[in-house]
Amino acid sequence: MGEFASLIHNENIKIFRRLRTWIMLVLLALMSALFPALIHFTTNGSNVVGLWDSFRTTVTIAFFLNTIFTALVAADSVAGEFTWGTIKLLLIRPWSRSKILLSKYISLVIFSLVSTGVLILFGYGSAFIFSSGAAGISGDMVMGWGQGEYVFMLILCSYIELFLTAAIAFMISSVFRSSGLAIVLSLSIMFTKDIFIAIFNPDRYEWANYLIFAHMNLSNYVVSDTGPGGATLGFAIAVLAVYYVVFMAVSWIVFRKRDVAA
Amino acid sequence: MPNTAEVVKPVASLMGVTKRIGSKTLISDLTLDIPPGQIFGFLGPNGAGKTTTIRMMVGLISISRGDILICGRSIKDHFEEAIANVGAIVENPEMYKFLTGYQNLRQYARMVPGVTKERINEVVELVGLSQRINDRVKTYSLGMRQRLGVAQALLHRPKLLILDEPTNGLDPQGIRELRDYLRKLCQTEGTTVFVSSHLLSEMELMCDSVAIIQNGRLIDVKQLKTVGDAAVPVSQTFFEVDNPEAALAQIGQGVIMEGGLAVDAVREEIAELNAKLVAAGIKVYSIKAMSRSLEDQFLEITGGEGIG
Repeated sequence: MGEFASLIHNENIKIFRRLRTWIMLVLLALMSALFPALIHFTTNGSNVVGLWDSFRTTVTIAFFLNTIFTALVAADSVAGEFTWGTIKLLLIRPWSRSKILLSKYISLVIFSLVSTGVLILFGYGSAFIFSSGAAGISGDMVMGWGQGEYVFMLILCSYIELFLTAAIAFMISSVFRSSGLAIVLSLSIMFTKDIFIAIFNPDRYEWANYLIFAHMNLSNYVVSDTGPGGATLGFAIAVLAVYYVVFMAVSWIVFRKRDVAA
Repeated sequence: MPNTAEVVKPVASLMGVTKRIGSKTLISDLTLDIPPGQIFGFLGPNGAGKTTTIRMMVGLISISRGDILICGRSIKDHFEEAIANVGAIVENPEMYKFLTGYQNLRQYARMVPGVTKERINEVVELVGLSQRINDRVKTYSLGMRQRLGVAQALLHRPKLLILDEPTNGLDPQGIRELRDYLRKLCQTEGTTVFVSSHLLSEMELMCDSVAIIQNGRLIDVKQLKTVGDAAVPVSQTFFEVDNPEAALAQIGQGVIMEGGLAVDAVREEIAELNAKLVAAGIKVYSIKAMSRSLEDQFLEITGGEGIG
């Protein structure tokens, strides 16, 4: 019944043939390139910012944009087909709904990797040009990590956060078939999770340890053995994994069963 | 059910199909065999359940009770094998607007094995879109999207072509062309065409048989040619005369209509009535047979009810 790879190819075309996607990638590239320059020109001579510090700051800021854009793509992945009405033509091919949804999810992950790649490439390139020397004010080592290693651990943590936000957007897109709702809900989780942790502090409430909010940002564990509420890295990863499996299961079950009467 | 259904294996069989949403029954116990090599019409007023039935046939919505077989395969249990025999348009043909017509077709071509570039070009030629196929779909008119919709349904040479209101948005020229190439497909490739419509006159011209559905129930299955024949023996005949009142007085039956008289008569009587009128000095300008159209029969069968 044909090649599964061609399904992924189809989904990639739907993402990368849209002008919107290219606008997002260009914006992301511009922003990643701009921040090291801004940092360079706004600091005076006595306070030199090194390559890795400049890059780290850029990554932290640019990942917000990266997460928003990936959530946008995730939100449109299923809901877009319903809005356009093309879902009716897509689902009457000799492919099971599960495989069609899987191809959509894989193409979403590919997009997130491409956009993260753009961010790293332009951010590092610009930081390399607009910085003076490898060492900056923070010295050579951060908590036992080399400077470069430390930044790439932060990128990994940020990517995990993005990955989960995209999974939430994808699930809502599949369940409610509304891209607006998917964007709003997934991003509000991203932006309000710190407030949530402040209110339902895992140090005070035992059950708050099992909320996804407390663990989405794993970057604490790069510099410390314990996170919020004294949780270990293993525990945090286990909680995230359970949430991720639930998100995926809900997406698949609903997409397989639901009547398509748009 | 016609006897032919037992001899020739139907391309699609709906077996006691029921669709319930909540407490509302949209389709109730629909049983229908679609014989191969025909253009089979699916006729019903708005809201009768045509699109709901088609959605079940292509697996877009679940079947509450009963089953649908396509080429002997259940759409419920063997979806992928059953749907491989089907090409369809469900409601309006929606396409990816940011892609060109050709890129849209490539999308669907990639999802089935063995659709070559030559085949895509052939289908584009058939539906008459060659001139505009490399334009983005957002620049297409409804009629052009309808043509592109037919093209995507034909790509993989399906045994069963399901078209939901395909004449929607087509100009008379387009409707004529559609009719001609459906006929051609049916004759040359042996494709069975299942076409839904509420336009009765369309169905009369296009289909070999029609199933009539109302309020989710199958009301009748008719072979269209015999429908036409049955109407011949007692036909209403219209006499265009200069004085309808006098003509009515002479004949003694009939209904006065604008510019003439409508009379129920068999073939032989018509000549006699004409002689009678002429003898009485009434000028007869023309005589026309008013055969009952499918529309009249359809309204009679469905009782001309509103959406129920």
